Amino acid sequence: MAADNHSVEIMDNANHLHPVAQVFSIPSSVSVVEGVSTLEHLNRIVSIDTLKMPMLGRIDGLLCNANGRILDITTVCNLDGRAIILGSMGRGKEIRQNIASGIPWNEELVVKDADEAISHLLLIGKAPQRCLVGLGIDSTELSNEKWLEFGNSLLSIHWSCPEAIQILVPANHHDSLIAALEENGAKFSDLENWGVVRILSSILDHHEMNPNNLPFELGLQNLVALDKGCYPGQEIHARMESRGGIARSLVRLKSSELVPIGKSKIENIGRVMVTDAYRYGDGGIALALIPHAASEIDSIQFENGIIAEVESIRF
Amino acid sequence: MGIMDGGGFSLPVVAPVEVVDVDISFTESAKAAMRTEFQGDEGSRVLIISAQSGGCSGYLYDMKIVEDPDDDSFQRLDVEGMSILVHNKDSALLTGITIDFKDSLMGGGFQIENPNADRACGCGQSFG
Repeated sequence: MAADNHSVEIMDNANHLHPVAQVFSIPSSVSVVEGVSTLEHLNRIVSIDTLKMPMLGRIDGLLCNANGRILDITTVCNLDGRAIILGSMGRGKEIRQNIASGIPWNEELVVKDADEAISHLLLIGKAPQRCLVGLGIDSTELSNEKWLEFGNSLLSIHWSCPEAIQILVPANHHDSLIAALEENGAKFSDLENWGVVRILSSILDHHEMNPNNLPFELGLQNLVALDKGCYPGQEIHARMESRGGIARSLVRLKSSELVPIGKSKIENIGRVMVTDAYRYGDGGIALALIPHAASEIDSIQFENGIIAEVESIRF
Repeated sequence: MGIMDGGGFSLPVVAPVEVVDVDISFTESAKAAMRTEFQGDEGSRVLIISAQSGGCSGYLYDMKIVEDPDDDSFQRLDVEGMSILVHNKDSALLTGITIDFKDSLMGGGFQIENPNADRACGCGQSFG
């Protein structure tokens, strides 16, 4: 179906970011694994090779089940004998049980819940580094492969969004760090605003990274290393990579009205799953999984008449 | 002060463990291969059969001949004078398995048939 330019307001992605930076406090799960074989244990279960991580190294991988479906993203910080694992809101208990359940008899590993101990901030905008200069942070040292220590906080660039800086901070310093960032030009924003920013910035969370979805459907090939050896789900991922068979693709939808979250059956296209949606300007934006065969389509029309422009997402 | 020096961390997460009495079967070829691997040290060494996270299907088998850990957390089987140990935490995953040995250049070695597994990896080393 061709886009109806009269009913779809075209929005410019480039302009959704704050001219300096917004700071969000992102509800997340935070876990800590302690023990000399921490990286070896994680390497057995995560989709990315963790063995060669340097001190303060960062990797972003996935924990999957044996069917290849995503349990959660695992953003790891190596603290030499300890690892902080940042995951999605609400997934922590299951992930910690998953990590703790298969510890070998001869390895002394401890898994801890750090949801209340460590907070996750995200600084995102057109010039987030400007907020860091005043704190004495050299932003040229930031990367998405390592964590930069600043006082008792850790900073790193988001794996999928170079305009976003992730900050891990002790929970009792959360408010003071936000205040310091605000003093240096950042605007503290609420989670309703976060939903809009994350969709426009292609930052995935638990709405997409969950057992309903496979990594290749979400375009998360970069978070899977098929040459690292076995991990839960690897056999399925290898088959999808070699034989194709990707049934769905993640896209961004832009419409003149808010599109409904959930499953819809759309004529001539098939089943569409809208994972998250927000009002944006006079219209709406959403992330959705649509049949892969339709991923290059310009627009789709929902049963209630809403027409949404389809924009493919690449990581 | 570092990021780990504050408060709010939980006590160690304990995975729920079901402990059952372990029963493992060995084929004659597996017993012969184990005897070879013990190299006459059956008196002081034990074979520990365990399961750990990993592999394509969720868990990986592991077999190690080590000095006897003399640890009550293990269940002990005697197979023709060879001590076979299984940790209590692995007992529900491993009870009922049959261990065979195939003398083959390709895909040979110890093979485990596990009635508790819903699925197994093509290489046979992983189950779930």
